[in-house]
Amino acid sequence: MTGTKTENRLLDVKGLTVEIETRSGPAVIVDGIDLHVDRGETLGVVGESGCGKSLTMLSLMRLLPNKIHVAKGEAHFDGRDLQKMSNRELRKVRGGDIGFVFQDPMTSLNPVMRIGEQLAEPLIYHRGMSKKEARARAVELLRLVGIPGPEQRIEAYPHELSGGMRQRVMIAIGLACEPKLLIADEPTTALDVTIQAQIVDLVKGLREKLGMSVVWITHDLALIAGLVDRVIVLYAGTVVEDAPVDELYAHPRHPYTRGLLASIPKLSDQPASRLNSIGGTPPEPGRRPQGCPFAPRCPLAMDICRTHVPKLEPVAAAGSHRTACFAAEKAREAA
Amino acid sequence: MSAVQTEPATLSEEPPVSLWRDAWYRLKRNRLAIFGLCVIVLLAFTAIFGPYLTPYDFLGQDLEARNQAPSFAHLFGTDDLGRDVFSRVVYGTRTAFLVAVVVTAIALVIGTVLGAVAGFFGNPFDRVIMWLTDVTMSVPNLLLVVVINASLKTPIAQWMEARYLETLNPFYRETVWIDFLLVFGSMALISWPPYARLVRAQVLSIRSRPYITAAQALGLSNRIILTRYVIPNALGPLIVAVSAGLGTAMVLESAFSFLGVGVNPPTPSWGNMISDGLRVWQHYPHLLAAPAAVLGLASVAFSFLGDGLNDALNPRGSK
Ligand SMILES: Nc1ncnc2c1ncn2[C@@H]1O[C@H](COP(=O)(O)OP(=O)(O)O)[C@@H](O)[C@H]1O
Ligand code: SF4
Ligand SMILES: [Mg+2]
Repeated sequence: MTGTKTENRLLDVKGLTVEIETRSGPAVIVDGIDLHVDRGETLGVVGESGCGKSLTMLSLMRLLPNKIHVAKGEAHFDGRDLQKMSNRELRKVRGGDIGFVFQDPMTSLNPVMRIGEQLAEPLIYHRGMSKKEARARAVELLRLVGIPGPEQRIEAYPHELSGGMRQRVMIAIGLACEPKLLIADEPTTALDVTIQAQIVDLVKGLREKLGMSVVWITHDLALIAGLVDRVIVLYAGTVVEDAPVDELYAHPRHPYTRGLLASIPKLSDQPASRLNSIGGTPPEPGRRPQGCPFAPRCPLAMDICRTHVPKLEPVAAAGSHRTACFAAEKAREAA
Repeated sequence: MSAVQTEPATLSEEPPVSLWRDAWYRLKRNRLAIFGLCVIVLLAFTAIFGPYLTPYDFLGQDLEARNQAPSFAHLFGTDDLGRDVFSRVVYGTRTAFLVAVVVTAIALVIGTVLGAVAGFFGNPFDRVIMWLTDVTMSVPNLLLVVVINASLKTPIAQWMEARYLETLNPFYRETVWIDFLLVFGSMALISWPPYARLVRAQVLSIRSRPYITAAQALGLSNRIILTRYVIPNALGPLIVAVSAGLGTAMVLESAFSFLGVGVNPPTPSWGNMISDGLRVWQHYPHLLAAPAAVLGLASVAFSFLGDGLNDALNPRGSK
């Protein structure tokens, strides 16, 4: 599944660095990230909130908010560098080749536009469909994402649908032009637990049906266990671990990953106890420690961690498993 | 894959096609708003055509028939100079609408331009414009209008007199224009800040809404995003504000005329008629009741319509 041949690479990001302008000069938010997604692969991107997951994905599409920009790096999609494309070319990719599903279905749909029209918009723009064709396709898409009564439902406004239904609509919009890659940014965070599982199942089914690649961003490792092929763990804008999903669950190497796994709530836990096993919070942009960004919170931190930055390196004897930690071996022994 | 539905979708029986048709559809179902709209249309018609249709001249005095109670000959009775109160109320409607429309239009243009510049270009424009807005809003309205009246009325009158002597154009003899000029100017001056704030807030908030990023992520062009995403979302609150603003301007005109710093007699205004009526209301209550009732009706009508528009144009907030 995780082939490494270049023609199998759909998305290949190298050294992506994102900065924010602050009063005291630029501060790094995303620090030279490498990541790749193969055709047909589903990649999970995991990390606490504020680790730079969203900005990484938004920067690929050049959708960064004010005062935040890509300082360096390349992002090749289907062989072309997204950072160097003209705006016109990029617009074709957005929505056409890469579909996006945002976190909050309540605010990511235009409140004054019927959902049928919002579905039709990319079809008219990217596929040159007539209004009528687009409308028929919109009905099909709503049916595809499991919305009952799609013929009537295309007339509804976003506020007339429940959160789960709206997220299905968002997914339908993201899929409208049958993109090669679907990027879902915490698509279930705003939803009830039961609905979360339904959305995961939905995307799982659609991925197989449409043969697309998926990047699924989440802070919830448990949710995506059955969905993704590979996981990268982000901390403070750097990749700290990259491994096939089973390998990651069985042998997590980075102390941060281990903390995330340990903090998956058991049924007996109070919701508030999540992430309690890692004290503290990720560093603010511009306040990153000198050495390993995780050092201030790391139970295994050594002297070298405070002076040197660990590189993302393959873990011995496990080809596609990489981690950035001076104590990776120790972590394995502890596991 | 079972579909769970927590809120049933309420669908209209005959789906309209556009946002505006749809808003109209929702407005039609709101009785109070439609009542307000009918009253406003009636008053607007009265303002435009009424003065040509009344049986009496609003200035025409009939000293034989002073202070008469309402009758078929004089629907709202007559005042102390024997003038037909109905005709005067009708002309007062014209005054009220003229002032409300002109003042709102000026305030809307000033407010929209300043608000959009502040919201779109940010600092330093934003800081200066918002400072201006705050200062304007912090000056008591009445005080400002009194000061403007006191300081500008005489110079303008003198200037008009001089122009008349120079040109002999009778236009400059018509001192009623001074009233209107001062009323338009001073009221527009105090009325623009809410529009500026609203437009600025709209531009700022819509620009950073997730659905704008989502639309960009779909590859839609800036033109489509502006016309289909930004403007329709900004327009609703602005239309509501204009409807409310017209009502407020009407009441404000009456208030200033009542206090003698607005439209002055003999030009009829609801406000100066109420002021006249108040002196003799124990003996001739109709002189107070007629203009007061019409003013109240107009005010209520604009407020009902404003509320209705608010619900109709914001499908998210409506039940
Ligand atoms: N619009 C913004 N303005 C300023 N800072 C931002 C903005 N968006 C994100 N950030 C900062 O960038 C960092 C990464 O944010 P984000 O990519 O949204 O994290 P994640 O998606 O992993 O929760 C955070 O520390 C956040 O404070
Ligand atoms: S490098 Fe050091 S501080 Fe960083 S995660 Fe590994 S042990 Fe902890
Ligand atoms: Mg995020």
